[in-house]
Amino acid sequence: MNYLALLPVLVPLTGAMVGLLLRKQRPLQAYWSLGTMLTALAGGLWLLLTVWQSGQPLVYNSGNWAAPFGIVLVGDMLSAIFVVTTQLVMVMGLIYALGSKDKVVTYPTFFPLFLTLATGLSGALMTGDLFNMYVFAELLVISGTVLTAVSDDRYGTEAAYKYFYISLLASFFMLLAVGSFYIAYGTLNMADLAARVAADGGRPLLLPGIAFLMATFMVKSAVFPFHFWQPDFHTAAPTAVSAMLSSVVVKLGIYGFLRMTTLLFVDQAPLIRAVLLVLGVVGVIFGGLSALGTHNVKRMLAYSTLAQVGFILVGIGWGTPLSIAAAIVFAFNHSLIKAAMLMLAGYIASRASVKSAAFEVVTGVGRPLPAAGFLFFVGSLALAGIPPTNGFVSKALLFNSGIAAARTWSLLLIGVTSIFTLMYTVRAFQRIWWLAPAEGITTKPAGDQLVAPALLLGLIVALGVWAEPLVAAATAASAALGDPSIYIRAVLGG
Amino acid sequence: MELLTAVSVGLLFAIGVFQMLRRNVIRSVIGLMILANAVNLFLLSTGAYDGVAAAYTTSSGARSDALPQALILTAIVISMGGTAFVLAMLYIISARYHTADLDEVNGLKN
Repeated sequence: MNYLALLPVLVPLTGAMVGLLLRKQRPLQAYWSLGTMLTALAGGLWLLLTVWQSGQPLVYNSGNWAAPFGIVLVGDMLSAIFVVTTQLVMVMGLIYALGSKDKVVTYPTFFPLFLTLATGLSGALMTGDLFNMYVFAELLVISGTVLTAVSDDRYGTEAAYKYFYISLLASFFMLLAVGSFYIAYGTLNMADLAARVAADGGRPLLLPGIAFLMATFMVKSAVFPFHFWQPDFHTAAPTAVSAMLSSVVVKLGIYGFLRMTTLLFVDQAPLIRAVLLVLGVVGVIFGGLSALGTHNVKRMLAYSTLAQVGFILVGIGWGTPLSIAAAIVFAFNHSLIKAAMLMLAGYIASRASVKSAAFEVVTGVGRPLPAAGFLFFVGSLALAGIPPTNGFVSKALLFNSGIAAARTWSLLLIGVTSIFTLMYTVRAFQRIWWLAPAEGITTKPAGDQLVAPALLLGLIVALGVWAEPLVAAATAASAALGDPSIYIRAVLGG
Repeated sequence: MELLTAVSVGLLFAIGVFQMLRRNVIRSVIGLMILANAVNLFLLSTGAYDGVAAAYTTSSGARSDALPQALILTAIVISMGGTAFVLAMLYIISARYHTADLDEVNGLKN
């Protein structure tokens, strides 16, 4: 019994409930939420350090029912790293929301919903039970959709409707996968399922179940053929929320793919990896080209997420221990970078005459704002993978692992197309900070605050200069993933 | 019995998917609900034929599996919440766009 694995779920959930009671005292509610999230982050870091030192996953049996009968929460290296990423970015999102001028942050349920978003995501990352993952993913989806539906953007409801529709379909896929695995193997506990699949990989409904589960995670991560809802949804969401959605929420699918290929379906992994590799390369090319063709900064960054998720999928697709470590580092770094960039885009939109990040509105708006320009420039470097930022570290690791695995074609394709990143970010930078504003376009004297993106970019540069701890953690996680019996033994005992 | 369940799940899926692809927003939501029920029936069929007696009772006979029933209960509650939320959003959308035709709800395209 280990309560440390329960903290990342319990703390934000409790915070959200107390936050609802505090709805009449808005400042108190806001700081309470920030405090809760900071506590959760501390808990997450503690969990990560504990797991790292002991090398053993921490398991919490809810209701004292032993696995595989009860629902377990499992904190291994992979879960812990993703949970810490989530909580770190969520803390920054709350800081941004505190300094935001949006009307949506004044709604009484904004901060509680933000915390339930964190609960859903941490829960889905920590749980060791497939059906429980579905429940947490639903919590995540509903919180995110509500936050977008009430956005200041007048198309928020339309985008939320689109997304909710697609994610309900994803939930049906997940339920079908759950049903298929239950018929075939009679268990929903991930460790137990992994052991049974490894013992007998020939049951009739296994492959359809894998396909359903992959479709679910593809929708969650907006992987290429299921990406169409993502740019709309991430553009229309309030800035603080879209910075979460486009950075950490899309990582749920990444986590799912990592679990599928290294724990659940080790024997079927080559098939899954082949699909992911192709989809990843297509995503990198398609996302880069689409980002070049957009007329809105937020939309450009949403398409860029498509491309960056593609890089991570390629890392998972190569499937060597080195490239899985690179994918984990890439996922962490991309979360920080994309959150910072979207916050900067939102900051610019808040200073524009009309609250929008469209190029025709924000062209030249950045001229009186050199500080934001500097931050955006550093963020662009990080997104494109240029030193001294952590983006360079992740890309260097990924390309190195590709060279080591001798995957020439995919490496060449993603290497060449990563030029697009530089092209679209520099184009946005030019438009906002260099070009003269059009007739009648002025910069508002006040807007959102720059604290959160500045903190994030500080972290980005710090992790670019001193990447050792992150890389070491990811390597340890990748090594632990290489041996699924560690996870299975920790959950099932024996 | 198994054939009947299989056919009805398949039919519900077909109707649900067909309705979902309609342009009318109300019809597509109804399609979503039918699809949710098709999935629930599929989940039920994973444990429906194991036995006739309820689990955790003193009655004799082969026990039915309680887990799929618990799963369906959870899935029903969640899909009910989801449907209520979709209908609420539909209400706002139909009030804002004055239409029930999905092709005319295209503010994000422009």
